[in-house]
Amino acid sequence: MLTLCAREITHAYGNHEVFRDFSIEVAAGETVGLVGPSGCGKSTCARILAGLEAPQSGTVEFCGTDIAGMNGSGYEVFRRSVQMIFQDPAGSFNPVRTIGQSISAVLRLAGVPKAEHRAVLVEALQKAGLQDEILSRYPDQISGGQAQRAGIVRGLLISPSVMILDEPTSALDVSVQAQILHLLKEVQRERGISYVFISHDTAVVSFMADRVVRL
Amino acid sequence: MRRYLLPLALIAVFATMAIFPGLIAPFTPTERFTTYQAPDKVHIFGTDDMGRDILSLVIYATRLSLFIGFASGAVAIVIGTVIGLVAGWRTDILDDLLMGATDIVLILPKIPLVIILAAYLSPGPWLLILVLGLLSWESVARVVRSKVMQVRSADFVLAARCLGFSDTYIIFREILPVVFPVVVPKFVLVTASAMISEASLSFLGLSDPTVISWGVMISDAFNHGGFIRKMWYWWMPPALCIILGVLAITSLAFLHERGAREVVQL
Repeated sequence: MLTLCAREITHAYGNHEVFRDFSIEVAAGETVGLVGPSGCGKSTCARILAGLEAPQSGTVEFCGTDIAGMNGSGYEVFRRSVQMIFQDPAGSFNPVRTIGQSISAVLRLAGVPKAEHRAVLVEALQKAGLQDEILSRYPDQISGGQAQRAGIVRGLLISPSVMILDEPTSALDVSVQAQILHLLKEVQRERGISYVFISHDTAVVSFMADRVVRL
Repeated sequence: MRRYLLPLALIAVFATMAIFPGLIAPFTPTERFTTYQAPDKVHIFGTDDMGRDILSLVIYATRLSLFIGFASGAVAIVIGTVIGLVAGWRTDILDDLLMGATDIVLILPKIPLVIILAAYLSPGPWLLILVLGLLSWESVARVVRSKVMQVRSADFVLAARCLGFSDTYIIFREILPVVFPVVVPKFVLVTASAMISEASLSFLGLSDPTVISWGVMISDAFNHGGFIRKMWYWWMPPALCIILGVLAITSLAFLHERGAREVVQL
């Protein structure tokens, strides 16, 4: 069953066309690798798939419904179901809020009672191999690997069905890369989440992806 | 921290004068003595045309001068920050409208406009605060909008959008804390500017003459013989207070800005 798909999307910045008539389909529980050289529009495509930008033409569909026509509860379901992990791990956290504040906000959004926040956070962090001491730290006070794990934990708190991973390991050193990739595999095994794995590193993509799409 | 010491000490002195004038001033503003007295041991700055102790008046005037400055600054900051946040976040016609309004306020000749308004409306501290605040928000809005446009496409904002947070939450909880460091020096500068405007308007006789502020004191000295009689000890203390108050407040803003720049360069 198709979870997320883009049909013949085209996007341009001013007169510079980034890509034209690009299509991609993601089935439930599969990992689709999206590869291409630098500047080919992989990150733009990721933002379009995540609904953060609108394509200039073409459609993005979630469970068969065009996201451009979604509103109210339908859009809310899409918003919680499709999450994105960013290339710069620390940059995906607000620089003036602690990691704990940023992640707790997601629990509030998900309707978890405040009294349970600490316990839920500690359990989620432990599963990702993180100590709860990072909760009181700011993004620039933790390592890239810790920040990326914390980003994954935050994304998983609202139980998404698709995660768009925009070069999640390119800013990390090799040993940390392997840890993050194994964590992602483990999460997918446990939860059956679909991944769109974006990278320019073909070795990493072939390790992660069930099939590869070239942009 | 040492460079903050002098401006902070000055502000602390002024704040003490404003909050506890009764404890510091030797007399109340209503006590009368011999008029036009030269400085002596009892009246360090002498007395004015109504026989009031000038030192006591300077101390009691601090509250209103600072209050008008800070309250005008607060009005300007609230309006400017909200307009800047919304204009920077929305890139549609709302941004054009808000920036159009900002440009209009930017080109208004402020002091002449305030003079006209103060002359036609009944002068008073609240009117002055409102008018000075309503005419001082435009630079705040522009700075805040620029900063919002810088961070609106940052990954942490995209992450918040992706997680499903509302625009209001993202603007006020994610973006505002990041923008806040540029708002603080603007607040301080607007406050200093409002203090000067208040003094200027009071000197021109366009404020409520029944209240005591540093500007009103200089105006009284000018209109009631302080300058002709060469009573420098009448107009000099409030003038010095205005200069030192504005210098202390603006120094804080510049030092804060310099500190922030050093952090960025590191």
